[in-house]
Amino acid sequence: MQVTLLINQTQHTLEVSPHETLLSTLRRLGYFGAKVGCDTGECGVCAVLVDGKPLNSCRLLAAQVEGHVIETIESLGQHPHQGWKQTEGLHPLQQAFIESGAIQCGYCTPAQILAAYHLLQHQPNPSEAEVRDALSGVLCRCTGYLKPVEAVLRAAALLRGEAVPPLAFGDRELLSLPVILQSPSDADGTAQFPSSEARTQTKILPKVIFSPQVPQHQRIGKPEKKVDAVKLAQGKPAFAADFEMRGLLYAKVLRSPYAHARIKRIDTSRAKALPGVAAVLTWQDIPRVVYSTAGQSDPIPGPLDTFSLDNKVRFVGDRVAFVAAETPEIAEQALKLIEVEYEPLPAVLDPAEAMSPNAPRIHDEPEYVNFAESDPTRNLAAHIHIDIGDVEKGFAEADYIFEGDYEVPKVQQAHIEPHVALSYWDEDDRLVIRTSTQVPFHARRILAPVLGLPIKRIRVIKPRIGGGFGGKQEILIEDVAAHLTIATGRPVLYEMTREEEFIAARSRHPMRIHLKTGVKKDGTITANAMRVLSDTGAYGCHALTVTGNTGHKSMALYVGDGEYRQRPNIQFHADVVYTNHPPAGAYRGYGVPQGFWPVERHIEKIARALQMDSLEFRLKNALRAGELHPFSTAWSEGREPRPEVIQTCGLEECVRQGKAAIGWDQKFGNPQWHEVPGKPHLRRGIGVALVMQGTAIPYLDMGGASIKMNDDGSFNLLIGATDLGTGSDTVLAQMAAEVLGVELEDIIVYSSDTDFTPFDKGAYASSTTYISGAAVTKAAQQVAERIRLRAARMLNKAANGSGEVTPEMLTLREGRVFAPDGRSVSLAEVAHNALHHEDQEQIMGVASFYSPVSPPPFAAQFAEVAVDIETGQVTVDKLVMAVDSGVIVNPITASGQIEGGMTQALGYAVCEEMCYDEHGRARERDLRHYHIFQAHEMPELETIFVETYEPSHPFGVKAVAEIPMDGVAPAVGNAVLDACGVNIDDNPVTPEKVWRALQAQRQEQSA
Amino acid sequence: MIIEYHRPPTLAEAVQLLQRKHPPTRPLGGGTALNFKGEEPLAVVDLQALGLDAIERQGNRLQIGATSTLQQLMEFPDLPSALGDAIRRQATYNLRHQATVGGSLASADGRSPFGVAMLALDAQLTLMPEQRTVSYGDFLALREEFLTGHLITWIEINLQVELVTESVARTPADLPIVFAALARWPSGRLRFALGGWGKTPTLVLDGQGHEGLRLAAESAFSAAADEWASAAYRSQVAGVLAKRCWQRLASGI
Repeated sequence: MQVTLLINQTQHTLEVSPHETLLSTLRRLGYFGAKVGCDTGECGVCAVLVDGKPLNSCRLLAAQVEGHVIETIESLGQHPHQGWKQTEGLHPLQQAFIESGAIQCGYCTPAQILAAYHLLQHQPNPSEAEVRDALSGVLCRCTGYLKPVEAVLRAAALLRGEAVPPLAFGDRELLSLPVILQSPSDADGTAQFPSSEARTQTKILPKVIFSPQVPQHQRIGKPEKKVDAVKLAQGKPAFAADFEMRGLLYAKVLRSPYAHARIKRIDTSRAKALPGVAAVLTWQDIPRVVYSTAGQSDPIPGPLDTFSLDNKVRFVGDRVAFVAAETPEIAEQALKLIEVEYEPLPAVLDPAEAMSPNAPRIHDEPEYVNFAESDPTRNLAAHIHIDIGDVEKGFAEADYIFEGDYEVPKVQQAHIEPHVALSYWDEDDRLVIRTSTQVPFHARRILAPVLGLPIKRIRVIKPRIGGGFGGKQEILIEDVAAHLTIATGRPVLYEMTREEEFIAARSRHPMRIHLKTGVKKDGTITANAMRVLSDTGAYGCHALTVTGNTGHKSMALYVGDGEYRQRPNIQFHADVVYTNHPPAGAYRGYGVPQGFWPVERHIEKIARALQMDSLEFRLKNALRAGELHPFSTAWSEGREPRPEVIQTCGLEECVRQGKAAIGWDQKFGNPQWHEVPGKPHLRRGIGVALVMQGTAIPYLDMGGASIKMNDDGSFNLLIGATDLGTGSDTVLAQMAAEVLGVELEDIIVYSSDTDFTPFDKGAYASSTTYISGAAVTKAAQQVAERIRLRAARMLNKAANGSGEVTPEMLTLREGRVFAPDGRSVSLAEVAHNALHHEDQEQIMGVASFYSPVSPPPFAAQFAEVAVDIETGQVTVDKLVMAVDSGVIVNPITASGQIEGGMTQALGYAVCEEMCYDEHGRARERDLRHYHIFQAHEMPELETIFVETYEPSHPFGVKAVAEIPMDGVAPAVGNAVLDACGVNIDDNPVTPEKVWRALQAQRQEQSA
Repeated sequence: MIIEYHRPPTLAEAVQLLQRKHPPTRPLGGGTALNFKGEEPLAVVDLQALGLDAIERQGNRLQIGATSTLQQLMEFPDLPSALGDAIRRQATYNLRHQATVGGSLASADGRSPFGVAMLALDAQLTLMPEQRTVSYGDFLALREEFLTGHLITWIEINLQVELVTESVARTPADLPIVFAALARWPSGRLRFALGGWGKTPTLVLDGQGHEGLRLAAESAFSAAADEWASAAYRSQVAGVLAKRCWQRLASGI
């Protein structure tokens, strides 16, 4: 049917099918600001304005909006500088989102801005609650909503003509801190949704406790705007699927309805005969190459147990066939025409039964390649046993032994941009894969044998990424598009649906954990043992390394006190088993949240049993600076371990700062505070968890950087590091700008492209700021050295024999090179001299970095809750996290990481889990049932950075990205215990679990 | 899959289209509840041109056009605040601007806060072509029948009715595990509905006294088990929420 649509004041007359959504039409017409997120209206990233109202274009038919006025993000604002052309510049909302750090991955940003635009049209002076309500329809998995809310409030003030305080740090102290636009109003701590008042104190800039060791910098430590924010605020076509290509085919994947089955027969003839179908591939059509989908360095520390397509399916959702067709609808239709005869096999759905002698064997393929102690005959994907010291001796020396069983669930990364890849042959017959990946270089290496191509004939381009959180540290979909491109010779786009994300993408490993701890009467831990049963699902991707980190980080924190500090007794034992569940994999935190739930719940119980102050007990036994990381001599991601001494640990100060921020001393142990006046069914509680993470994988993770100087004194920074929304491009540019003495805007960052940027292992293991940042710094230092050499020559030539300078005497700042006496040349002059005038050379630097250590960040996580003792409902009112991440390069992006991480971790604490029925079918298949926190239901969030100076890095940094995932759940669990005296040992802490525990408590008390 | 799209200018034409047997034809309100990608061929009748998007107060009664959006209803000045809260629980900002009142009621499952609240309020639905009025409770009981060849045009509620709601969920905005709505008429009539479970909201009580309310609530959810909660839990919590609803009504909070 023909429709005429008025989009951004331009009339489009076009043919649409009756079922075509407005989202599909918009993207077909090149309006890529409307994003694909869920297709069911829950995520809201496809929102556009229809007659001024924010509507989800995935839930509108194109035909429905004929006769209406459609405005997309492309109608709002422009880049302020477009050569000779004057523009109106960006809209104040876009400007505020950029300045407030409200943009992380930027995938949801256009929709957030449009929703806010609508609000401000109708309510120029909104309350914080109104802003949160307006943003409620757009899910964001990165920010925790705090900065987007602040951005809208600031934009509203600007549009009203009010003065808005600038966001700026001064030298070594905060000049504008914090901007509080509305005070917390939850006077009784019992706010129920929906509240007419705001419950969140809003702050853009975190509190930073500076270390006296940190030298003064020009760019490091400053809240610089993200280098990619301007394009993201405008909804520019920056993501993998925002791409137009002639002859594009759309891929779909037929997925298994069985948890475990052999494919006896598969007939694709009817599907192939469907007009518009270009290719149908089954296991019979492509080479049988065994590999691992885990995006890790070579050799992959895990079994090779996966095929692009196989004659056996191992979970509900496993791949059966690939289809490429002219439209997504034809591809869908073709899937239904593929006839498959399955031979259902007995399934393993309980990890506890996976290793029993009678259990069905999930991997019986002869091509299976073991790694270390994996044993497919026992459904064992990985096995770890670590003894540090002598736990039996430690237990014997203890006055008390505490044991407990804990469980953590399978959860989803739920990045709002689905997995998406586009592949095509270029003019040199090289295969180009434009993909939303965290690991472009690993993807290239791993795909080469799978596709039958040498590495040199594959180019992987990583555009902007709409969130990954570990889910895209996986070679999950690139092979689908690539096989179909090879089969058809045509470009192919494969974009997973939200349902596929839930049933077939990766997730956090669920685990069952037993803890045993020996303690002396004075609170000294004498021994600690953890036994883990981890469910990797049908494939062993990340099986060994995720679970290894469960022990490596969480069991390293409490070494004991006194003599035990030098000789801790720790045992870690893990079996990682195959089941017929969807595979687990990498998810931000990488096994560590699974470890800290049991450890911190357990430690809390011990402290209470000993009647010790729980923080005092923790700090008495916690690892300190100058001590050996206990696991560093025992395990290193399946590679040779080497000893590491902790150089910096700000844990005690984190505790001090966090306690003060949450009012611990006024609340903990105060019976009056625990009661809620007028609400006898509510009890308040406060809880804490101490956590540590790592920073990269020592002796393994490597990042490279290349910097070249341009005529105007600007620099191209080319990095393989993979900014997936975290802001790593920005902080790496800040490091380069610091060394080169220029403004951030003079660093033009490009990441990542396997053809053009140096190798980087990718975005995982909290490594980019530390590893890639050091590489950038080294490359910048090389460039600075060349600049000084030439500048000295230029200055000496101009001085004509008087006032000779040597390169070492010169400093780079403000875009110039200064001699001690104040003479200077500009970088543009140096560049011109180098490129055009004299002894010509391209000033550039290339460097790489790997580290012999993995310095841990530390943190104290606090939570405040209200528990309804009649229903078990838990409301989290406040989260405070005080973090030692070394020197903070950019407080606005770093605090964004903490806020977003705490929000994801809050879901892990109270609502997120993936459950399966007796046939292995998923309960959660969409974002309606898999609930992630929305803007209008957030607790108050507060971030504090306690700086230390990590000597192994040129700017003293440690990691920030993953540690916020670790402590929220146990802090909430401990707060629930504090509120009502019950222990929930398996997260999430749901109302029914609390209610059942309360029932049991009452029965116990009455008995 | 949608194979036909119609936007009739009159109610008569809309009803005529909806009464076709082939292809199966469904009304299209905002589009938030309709399955665009279903396997069966489907025709849709877009209701936007029918002028059913008005909300009017007539004395103590509120007449709500079926294609009014949830946001329009939420913003209506005299709306009971608890109904506004239920709407906010039902849908986030964008979806509220898109979802229609008629569509939301027609598609409400047991976890629909708006559906539960409207059931407690004893909302009355006008159906075409007969132009007959049915209660929302009766509609839910025979939903499939009413949805075939019929069209909801108006919804009416009594603005004199007091409404309170209570709920339990994993987070403040998550789907409710139990949602309770208690309505009280000036005559003293009480009507209590529960949600959070099942294919439709559940009417628990319609009568004069509050005695037995808690027991009725517990009893109504005594078998309310699914993959999200046990019946024992839901039953107990339903009783607690029923008690709280009554206490709030009684105390005027």
